[in-house]
Formats: sequence, C-alpha cells, structure tokens
Amino acid sequence: MRLARYLMILTLASLTGCVTGYTLVQPGVQSFGSMRVTVDDNWNLAPARLTPSARKQSRTWTQDGLLLDRLTIIPAVADGETIFVSRNKSAALPVFHADMLPNEVEELVESSIVKLYGEGQSAVSTSNLRPQGFGEHGGFMFDIEAAITESPDYRGSVGAFIVDDQLYMVLFLAAEPHYFDKHAARAEAIIKSATLTMKTIRRN
Amino acid sequence: MIRVRVFSALAILLSAAAAAEPVTIEHSIPPGYEPSEAQDEQGLWMELEEYERTLNQSALLVRDPDLNNYIKGIVCRVAGDYCNDFRVYLVRNPGFNASMTATGMMQIWTGLLVRATSSDEIAAVVGHEIAHYTRMHTLQRFRKLKKNAAAGSIIDIGISIFTGTSTPLAQSIGMMNALAFSREQEQEADLLGAQLMAEASLDPHAAYRVWEHVIAEEEAAAVKRQAPGLFAQTHPDTQSRVDVTRDWVTARYGPPDAESVADDKLIQVLNEHYYFLMEDQIDTNRFGRTKELLERHSEMGVEPGIIYYFYGEMFRQRADDGDRQLAMSAYRHSIETGNAPSDAYRNLGYLHLKEKELDAARKHFRAFLEREPEASDRAMIEFYLTE
Repeated sequence: MRLARYLMILTLASLTGCVTGYTLVQPGVQSFGSMRVTVDDNWNLAPARLTPSARKQSRTWTQDGLLLDRLTIIPAVADGETIFVSRNKSAALPVFHADMLPNEVEELVESSIVKLYGEGQSAVSTSNLRPQGFGEHGGFMFDIEAAITESPDYRGSVGAFIVDDQLYMVLFLAAEPHYFDKHAARAEAIIKSATLTMKTIRRN
Repeated sequence: MIRVRVFSALAILLSAAAAAEPVTIEHSIPPGYEPSEAQDEQGLWMELEEYERTLNQSALLVRDPDLNNYIKGIVCRVAGDYCNDFRVYLVRNPGFNASMTATGMMQIWTGLLVRATSSDEIAAVVGHEIAHYTRMHTLQRFRKLKKNAAAGSIIDIGISIFTGTSTPLAQSIGMMNALAFSREQEQEADLLGAQLMAEASLDPHAAYRVWEHVIAEEEAAAVKRQAPGLFAQTHPDTQSRVDVTRDWVTARYGPPDAESVADDKLIQVLNEHYYFLMEDQIDTNRFGRTKELLERHSEMGVEPGIIYYFYGEMFRQRADDGDRQLAMSAYRHSIETGNAPSDAYRNLGYLHLKEKELDAARKHFRAFLEREPEASDRAMIEFYLTE
C-alpha cells in the first residue's frame, strides 16, 4: 500500500516536471574513491545529465542551481587525461601531465574552463596562485574569473594537489557578485578540507 | 556532395565572368538607410536593436580606446559615405570572424587582429561585412526563410542571421545552417568588398590574401576543425573563394603591384596589445595554429622580445619531447632582447625548477619579483625561493 502511494506521488511529480534528479549531500565527510572532503552544510549533487562535461569520477554540487554556483570535485586525473570531457573531438581540451608545476595546472584549468563555456564564448583569467596544504599533501590554490557570452560573470577559486602522479582538484565557480559572496566562504572551507583517505596516505 | 558540385559550378561561372568583364556591383540602399514600413523589416530591426543593447553590456567587449579607434578608422575608410550607418563592436574572441546585422551593428573579433598581415586585410573583412549590409542580404535571407517557416518563430530566429561562424545568439549549429547567408551572397560580398576597398584607395588584392592566411593556418593546425565545419557550410570553400576573388580583382584592377607588406600602424597596434591578444589564443590550446601565427608575426616585424616569449608559452603548452628545452631557449632569447615581459623570467624559473637547476630557478624568480613586486603569485614564488 505504501509502495503504491509512493509510486503515485512519484508519477504526479513527474507529470508536473518537478523531478530534477538532484540528490541531497549532507554534512560530514564525503569520499570519492581515494579523495575526501568535509562538508558542514547541505549541498545538492547535480545529476550526470546536467553536467555532461564532467568526468565520470567527478561530482558537481550546487546551492542555488548550476547556472548560479557550482562546486566540482575532480579526483585522480592521471597523466594524459583531461579535467573535463567533451564529445567534440576538435575541442582540443588540454591534458594533465604528471610533472606539471602549480603554474601549469593553473594554465590547464584556465584553458579547460574556456573550453567548458565554449571557445570564443568566454575569457578566463586566474590570479593569486599560492601554496596550500591538503592534509599531509602540499598543493596550491588560485582564484579565477570568467566573462562569458550571454551569461553573468563568474568568479571562483580552485584548490589542487598532485599525489602519485595523479591530480586532485576542487573547483568553485559562482555568479558575480551575489552568489560568489554568498557561497565563497563555505566553498573555500570544502576546498581546504580536501585530502586523501588514510589508506592512500599510508601507501605513500 | 551535391552542395560541393553546385558550388563548383557557381565558381566556374563567376570565374569565367570575371575573366571576361567583371561587373560592377551596386549598393541596394543609400547611406543613412532607415527601415521601410514593412512589418517584417520593422520587427527585425526592433529585435536587433534590443540585442545591441544587450551586447553593449557584455564583459567580452574590448573597451580599449586605441584598439577601437584603429578598427573604427578602418571601417569608416572602407564605408565612405556609409560610415555613420555603423556601430562597431570589438569582441574579445580569439577566432577569425566578423559579423554585420541589417541595422548596421558590426562585430569584429580580436582574433582577426592577430591573423591579418596588414591593415588592408582587416579592411577586406570589413568591406565584406559592409557589402552584406548595403546589399540587404540579411533582409533577403529573412524573407526567404519566412516563406518556409512558421510565422510565429520568424522574428525570434531573424536576430540570429549573421555572417559569421557563430554568434552569441546563435549557438545552435542547426539554426546557423538554416539561417546563414547563401554562398551566392557570400561571393557577392567578397567582390563588392574588394570594390569598396579599391574605391577607398586600399589594395583590393588583400580581399583574397586574407583567406590564403586562413588556409595556411588550417594546414598548420594540430587539431583540425570538425569537418564539415560550420564555417565551411555557411561560407564558400576557402580555396574557391580565393580563386574567384583573385581572378575578379585581377581582371578589374590588374595584378598586384608587390607582395603585401605589414603597415606600421598594424605593427604598432600589435606591439602595444600583443600580450592581451595572444593570451586568449594560448588559452585555446591550439598550439599548431599559435605557432603559425608567431611565425607570421615574426616575419611581419612584431617586437621580437614578446614573440620569443610566446614561442616559450607555445612550446611549454605543446609539451612534446624536447619542447621544454625549446621553451627555455625561447624565454632566454626573449630576455636577451632586453624587452621581455616579466613573465618570461618567472616561467624560465619554473622550467629550471623542473630541470632541478635550483640556483638558476631562484635567480630568475628573484628577477621576476624585482620587476613585479606586487605580483599576485608572489606567495608561490617565495615558497620556491625558500624551499
């Protein structure tokens, strides 16, 4: 009886277009393979169909909707791989190299975001590259600004570190000025909480 | 396949006509044209003016007065009596394109500035766009579509009629295919554009030279555009338009006096704005094309210190075997000119770091910080200085 009622509610919700496919992300430690972050607030996990440029292992969270803010967690990018994906073979997405230094990862992200929003449809700049520890791992952070055609300007920050030749990254972008100001502090806290699981640390 | 055959036939006809007696192409509207009282034209103008108000707010518009004055000067020279009909918007986009609406709103992408080898070649692209305007190609195309489309959607799609490969309002490839100018209109715009250049005492041979550079760049590309590309679908085959335009211009104005030479004004503009213009090109990650542009700019006589710096950036981005050494050599050459961007010192420092040459890395990092004490990445550089 309860199942029938549940199915009826689900059907009605579908008919009204209310089913979005978002999943609630609750406060606490969230793991993605060997990577984990600590969350102190509710976020909404976007369904894969709304983030076609995301790697299979990536997760994209939002507070107010993907057009207004997004926090993308990108674990374990191996040498020769891209941080986003594209079905367009002529997109020329830049690839990660295991020997990249922080400035080169910064450039990799800048060029990748240009491709994400459309080559020629966006101008992206980065700044404030600085050292940042992620648990026991040395890494770095930098800030990002993006002007995009037919869209609000975006601002955000990125944290990244490389362990065992693999890149781990958390990327936050939000519409300027309101949504960036609204979520920047909690997004930065999540970025700085990124690290690897104990098992991985011991293996190192 | 059919399209290719049809266009080849058109090219042969135009070429034959050009060789015999090149016709003069007349403007369809006078300077200062206002839309007629026809309802569809009024509606089209209203939508385009609304779009222009939006474009005016775009963060991608280049506001630099020097660059805008340079471009507007070229537009007015080619436009002649039509000069006041146009509002020119320089858009930050590293691609090769320009566009024009029925209302006289002209967009020119910054990528054109790094692809032209002379101001005349920029004028050639501008002349092509002006020809679309004075021949009322947008309205013709709009009315042709109106016959085949649902009336309610016409105004919405009308604002998407532009000349280029893509526009802010026309992201859909399918939409652009339906709305692009016909190849006959493109050909007509090429020839009338060359005619306008000659009337403005500019070199009409630049009208096909600019396309020869497009072909050279495509051949140098590491990753080719998707085939058949949108550009190929909405514009005549590039080699065909070179051939037809060259024949027409040569028949009408005689052979070129000499090879094209970069003019001082374009070199000055590139020297002053090169870093800004080429940074966006680097962000495309299209290093084959970037290398072709750098070779072109080097031959033109753009300041070697900045050319060497961007060679370093290109080699570093390509990251093939041996490219690290090539990048280091390019940064060193840039520094030796005495006119290197500060970033050449920093990026050479990073490459010494990768080579585990710590003393050399620190030397160049210090040189960078001496030049840029307020650098936003100072904390990162200091981290490596004290590590």
